[in-house]
Amino acid sequence: MNGLKPNDKLIPNTRLKELAEFPHLFELTTQKNTLVRLDNFGKNQAAGLRLFCVTEGRFDWQIDNQRQWVYPGDVALVCPWQWFGNPKDMLEIGTFHVLTILPDRFDEHALTLGPWSGISESEQRLMGRILALNSQGILNDFREVQPIIQQLFRELGQLEFGYKTRVNQLLDELLITLMRKLTRQQNQRRDFPQVFQKLEQLLREDLEHPWTVEEMSAIVGLGSTAFTEKVKAFSGFSPLNYLINIRISEAIKLMKSTNKSLTDIALEMGFYSSQHFSTTFKKLTGYTPGQYRKRVEE
Amino acid sequence: MDCIITIDIGTTAVKVSAFGMKSQLLGIRKGGYPTFHPKPEHSEQDPEQVFLTVLYALKNLLNDEIRTAKHRVTAIGFTASMHSVLAVSRQGVPLSNAMIWADNRAQREATELKQSALGKIIYDATGTPIHPMSPLAKIAWWARHDPSLFGRAHKFISIKEYVLFQLTGEYLIDHSMASSTGLFNIHRLAWEPQALAFAGINTDQLSEPVSVFHQSTQLKKQYVQLLGLAANTPLMVGGNDGCLATFGAGVIEEGAATLTIGSSGAMRVAGKRILQDDQQRFFNYLLTEGHYISGGPTNSGGVVFEWFSQQFGTSSNHLEYEIATEHLLKEAENVQAGAEGLLFLPYILGERAPLWNANARGVYFGVNINHERRHFARATVEGIAFEMYSIGKLLQKYRSIDTIYVNGAYASMPFWAQLLSDVFGKTVYINDNHNSASLGAALLVLTNIGAYGSLTEAAKTVTSHETYYPNTVAHSGYAPLFDIFERLSHKLTDEFDAIAALQEKN
Repeated sequence: MNGLKPNDKLIPNTRLKELAEFPHLFELTTQKNTLVRLDNFGKNQAAGLRLFCVTEGRFDWQIDNQRQWVYPGDVALVCPWQWFGNPKDMLEIGTFHVLTILPDRFDEHALTLGPWSGISESEQRLMGRILALNSQGILNDFREVQPIIQQLFRELGQLEFGYKTRVNQLLDELLITLMRKLTRQQNQRRDFPQVFQKLEQLLREDLEHPWTVEEMSAIVGLGSTAFTEKVKAFSGFSPLNYLINIRISEAIKLMKSTNKSLTDIALEMGFYSSQHFSTTFKKLTGYTPGQYRKRVEE
Repeated sequence: MDCIITIDIGTTAVKVSAFGMKSQLLGIRKGGYPTFHPKPEHSEQDPEQVFLTVLYALKNLLNDEIRTAKHRVTAIGFTASMHSVLAVSRQGVPLSNAMIWADNRAQREATELKQSALGKIIYDATGTPIHPMSPLAKIAWWARHDPSLFGRAHKFISIKEYVLFQLTGEYLIDHSMASSTGLFNIHRLAWEPQALAFAGINTDQLSEPVSVFHQSTQLKKQYVQLLGLAANTPLMVGGNDGCLATFGAGVIEEGAATLTIGSSGAMRVAGKRILQDDQQRFFNYLLTEGHYISGGPTNSGGVVFEWFSQQFGTSSNHLEYEIATEHLLKEAENVQAGAEGLLFLPYILGERAPLWNANARGVYFGVNINHERRHFARATVEGIAFEMYSIGKLLQKYRSIDTIYVNGAYASMPFWAQLLSDVFGKTVYINDNHNSASLGAALLVLTNIGAYGSLTEAAKTVTSHETYYPNTVAHSGYAPLFDIFERLSHKLTDEFDAIAALQEKN
């Protein structure tokens, strides 16, 4: 997605001059549309994390392949790799807020918000991952967003003591609220086995990643205590032991079907050293990786 | 104290249990593994992960409960889900994931065979309904769609055989598992040449069939060390989990039936002879020589209620799924029997017994303006019970059923057990031990080592303290509804075909 620019043609309003002090808050506007406008809201891609928060009317919007009517209280959440707009280039009658955050880096592989944010680096990475996995786009009935946006307007309008800090805090607050909503909405209608299956798929797609329990539980929208309990009840394993089990079974498959060195396999499967791999392997299978490979070749 | 261990390799998890010599449960550990759906109709499991999980659960049980209590393991017995199959190379390396029972990719192979004269011959010989679930159809699918894998396949084995092979280096299949492959002649207790010919394989490509009591003492020394077992600990091959769940519920003679509703469901009876049904609606599997377990499987088990709960349980209030399901069941319980005339055909996944119609679809029938969500919830549970009853009714043409033992996560809920008792008009028992396949495996091992004199004697030790008696008013109220249920299920055949064809296009 390199080379994408923030979209400033979409909404022709001026950029608030107060935003000059917040380069990472590219846009914060309220768009009130009283006439149906044609050729105005075509599908586009743009840099940054964009939020469209509807307060009046209804809009026919599409994110990538998903098209739906968006009503007051709904929020469209758009990432730079997604296409967003009205399928017929049309802007219906109604009102919505637009907020664009420009992170230092934001693509399908990484998210770095920038020094303004108080969210930890690892949680930013996790946020990036959750956004990259998100396939729904429109968050229905997400009423927690609007009060935060109104507070942002207030802070930027009044410029009281400490407003810079407050604005950045509100942006963090917004992002955290967003992440929680996103993971909960995705998993709410599923029973735990389905939630767990989805998670397992993610783990398998990136076994090299040093997964933590905090990350795994955030992805399924649970606190880590409840998550660990549920995984144990469902699978009989602690989350980390379950992960190790996947890593070793995938390693066994690689050992049997490829000529890759044991060190390469160890690292690819997320073990921090071949020694670590070897000890874990022996503990689980009764064989050292070397013995195991030999056994198959015989 | 002496004890035995059972290893029950199920669809979602392995359960490893320890039993005393009087079949009392001493401890249990489970380990879960996933099912992959890389394409629609495909359901696969990774044999390596299953094996690792078996080791993990076994090791934990031995370390945490058996050694600390100074118990001595005298034998280990196995049971597993039916119909899984994978191909292995000459070195015993899996050439792919295992297809499990739920894998439907061999639909065409199964349909073609079922419609041919050979299909009838193979069904009569093997006892396994001609269906994509059977390894017969699955191997035929590989032959047709993956000739490269098919050509490299040294053997085709189930997940349980793979686990045993890993532990001992031997390829062994018990008669009970073999009887659910669609490849095994249940009368002669040998691989059926006509079925093998259809699948395109020879006997060398299958494991050696042995009695369920067969013991291997070849446990590899690495596992002896890893697990801390005695070097010559006998591993008894055991049987399939359908037969052993029936046996483990205490049913080994005629007169009783087991009814299981987990995510899918089945109703089974035991007997000395198979059930001869011209329309091939039953399975006939072998427990041991002279003991057949027959019955009908249904797709419409708890999964149907889970679907209902996901769609209609959580939308209004932001409840967690599990809590929402509980609420719905309470709502359903408070509606009178018959859901005030609302009727549900639960075929949202097509149906196996007794319709054997993959195109069947779900129907709510008789909806009027007074029906609320709670009526729909009740009708959904009743629809699942009616479906079980339609299997039971058919079974009763061949066998008398006086009592019913229920198991599975759904059927053993009090509300469901009472409802089943009312629909069937029969006394329903819930077994004390909910893992009846593990208990069945334990009884088999204990009979083998002489703790019980016979299977019948062993079955008599199974206890059930929770009993539900039919409410005669409710029972007679269900009769006319079930009548409509049955008529609709057959009457809609053309419309099911038409709507399924439409859905396939979308």
